[in-house]
Amino acid sequence: MAGASISSSFTVASSPSIRPSYRVWTRSRLRNFTRATLTIDSGASGGVVSGSEKVLLEVKGLKAVVKESGKELLHGVDLTVREGEVHAIMGKNGSGKSTFSKVLVGHPDYEVTGGSVIFKGEDLLEKEPEERSHAGLFMSFQSPIEIPGVSNFEFMLMALNACREKNGLKPIEPLEFYGYLGPKLAALKMDPVFLDRNVNEGFSGGEKKRNEILQLAVLEADLAILDEVDSGLDVDALQDVSSAVNGLLKPNNAVLMITHYQRLLELIQPSFVHIMEGGKIVKTGDSSLAKQLDEGGYKAISSV
Amino acid sequence: MSRCCYSSTSLLPPHHRLRLSPPLYSCSLPRKPLKALSVSASLSAPPSDKQLFVLELAEKLEDSLSLPLPPIQPLRDTSSQSLVSTPWPTRQSEPFRFTDISYLTKYPVVPAQIQTIPSSFPLNSSLPIQITLINGLLNPSLSRIPSLPAGVFVGSIKDVPQGPISEKISSAIASCSEFKEKDVFWDFNNVGAADVAVIFVPAGVKVLDPVHLMFCYSGSGKEEEMSMCNPRVLVVVEEDAEVSVVEEHFGFDGAGRYWANPVMEIFIGERGKVSHSYVQRQPLNAAHIKWTVARQEASSTYEHVEVSIGGLLSRHNLHIQQLGPETVTELSTFDLVSQSNQIQDLHSRLVLDYPKGYSRQLHKCIVCNSAGRAVFDGNIRVNRFAQNTDAGQQTRSLLLAPKALVTVKPNLQIIADDVKCAHGAAISDLDQNELFYFQARGLDLKTARNALVYYFGADVIRRIPFKPIRETAASEVKKLLSF
Repeated sequence: MAGASISSSFTVASSPSIRPSYRVWTRSRLRNFTRATLTIDSGASGGVVSGSEKVLLEVKGLKAVVKESGKELLHGVDLTVREGEVHAIMGKNGSGKSTFSKVLVGHPDYEVTGGSVIFKGEDLLEKEPEERSHAGLFMSFQSPIEIPGVSNFEFMLMALNACREKNGLKPIEPLEFYGYLGPKLAALKMDPVFLDRNVNEGFSGGEKKRNEILQLAVLEADLAILDEVDSGLDVDALQDVSSAVNGLLKPNNAVLMITHYQRLLELIQPSFVHIMEGGKIVKTGDSSLAKQLDEGGYKAISSV
Repeated sequence: MSRCCYSSTSLLPPHHRLRLSPPLYSCSLPRKPLKALSVSASLSAPPSDKQLFVLELAEKLEDSLSLPLPPIQPLRDTSSQSLVSTPWPTRQSEPFRFTDISYLTKYPVVPAQIQTIPSSFPLNSSLPIQITLINGLLNPSLSRIPSLPAGVFVGSIKDVPQGPISEKISSAIASCSEFKEKDVFWDFNNVGAADVAVIFVPAGVKVLDPVHLMFCYSGSGKEEEMSMCNPRVLVVVEEDAEVSVVEEHFGFDGAGRYWANPVMEIFIGERGKVSHSYVQRQPLNAAHIKWTVARQEASSTYEHVEVSIGGLLSRHNLHIQQLGPETVTELSTFDLVSQSNQIQDLHSRLVLDYPKGYSRQLHKCIVCNSAGRAVFDGNIRVNRFAQNTDAGQQTRSLLLAPKALVTVKPNLQIIADDVKCAHGAAISDLDQNELFYFQARGLDLKTARNALVYYFGADVIRRIPFKPIRETAASEVKKLLSF
């Protein structure tokens, strides 16, 4: 069933069509979207630390190896993320930060050898990557790949409709989708022209990252994993991306950022900062930990 | 191959005058009907089976023509002479090294009959200017030519008004008959073409509506016969003029077995522009051998978008000759092999002899059947005087079934020393990273695969400037990919 409706949306530069039979429904949907727009523009920044909030992600003793070589990269990661929280994971190169995010998303190169991951009360590791996305998990890739032949518009429409279908909602029509995208593009200071370009084709590093955040805004995920979203961004682009992420924060979703640098954390205030080393989280603190790291390097942290 | 290649006009620089080997016949023989020539041929050496096939087919084509067509007589003469001494291509000859054309000689070939297509068959174009050719013959009742800008002519060569237009057409035909890098199929078309569709645009005129050429074919209905027809099109666009041409090749339902052998010749004057969209969606038992020859004068633009998805044996010879500096040539082609024993073959040749030419070629090919085969030979010749050329060529092939075969031969022959040329070729299955990106965004693996395969080809299909043509091509592709 999913396949049938998606194939109907494989159109080649088709002009949007309006279907009167959905008019009543679309008006009410549009109202819902307007509400969403207001939420974005109000821009709440930072997350509130509170132990009584619902647990979104619970990782216990996660161990993983590279499938091909069998080398163990994660040696028992423990992490709890609650609704409304912003977590940052920092660590040296090779400490396992990116591996951790890829394992959470279900990348085929890695195999989980121990531990558990519960997301919104369900076993995440049992699910296929697309099922994890439907459940509300989103990852912004460190180096997004180019997909020639698929326009950004088509790709996002396909992804959104797959998610909506899974959750029992009717697919969104192209014309409506243009309207839905408008404010989100504006928030990221992106030109609507880019929607017709092929996914990431000819994009600069900064444009690719903005594209990732736009997809996050479209899919409205519950947990967004931002893998080194600040790499390749200039000061202005970083500002725009950060304010967009802040604008997407709501009391019932959460963000997990993986980064090397303090500057992102100044713009997106974390509730918790974790230091990862040797495939494990070795230290957890608040944003002051990040400042210490910035000033003294990893040596300063490990001695404390 | 024994042919003599002399350039009798001074269009090409002197070093192009080649002499390959002593000809069997010198070009000064008086024009005789083919039968007489073939008798003389047999006296000197016994012709092989295949050579007999060539001669017999040429005779059949000549006999099938009820009326002479004076405007193209020079072409007919040149080609009849040529056919006497041109052998049938074999796997030993470079142009057909990778392509098995035995399907053309498997069944007795008969010239196509005049066909009436039932009115229920959809032959109505949604584009404003339509020319319908049934088995190569223009059908005025099924065509639609609205009022055109002054001086523009669209129609059969028989109806070209006497005067400046007919003179220009004749001189174009004279240039056609001097074409040297041809093959036996181009000659067959000259000998067998019963009519020529002409599109003439005078200097300074820009025809805004596209001209839609619908080539509809049908066989004789007999299983054991292959019916052959030779549609021919001549497009002449003068200085500062513009036109868009769309050609679609398809069969009438239950068409029977046939061999379509069309040729299109395009002349683009200085600063002129031709946008050429070509969709080949023949039935899967048809043979389709096509020639497109484009000649670009200085600062002209030629844009070619091609979607070739039908036919059991399909071969396109695309030859573009640069006749002046600062030309722009953009080629985008998509071949789809989805059936058992299907062959899609594109042999393109871009010959650059003048400076500052710009060209980009993108070739995409999908083979999703284990017994299917695709061939691409992309030749770009940047000759001695083509300095400051900027030429780029990219070919990407997607092999989706085990034992599917694709042969790509990108070749750039560069003699000039101050040029910018780049080419890239990739043959692969779908990229794992691309598939994972789709999965990470909520699309399951099967949908992701289908999407990536479809969009691989859609990248070229979307370059067709006209929506109805794009949509027909896209829906045919989806059908063949069985989505």
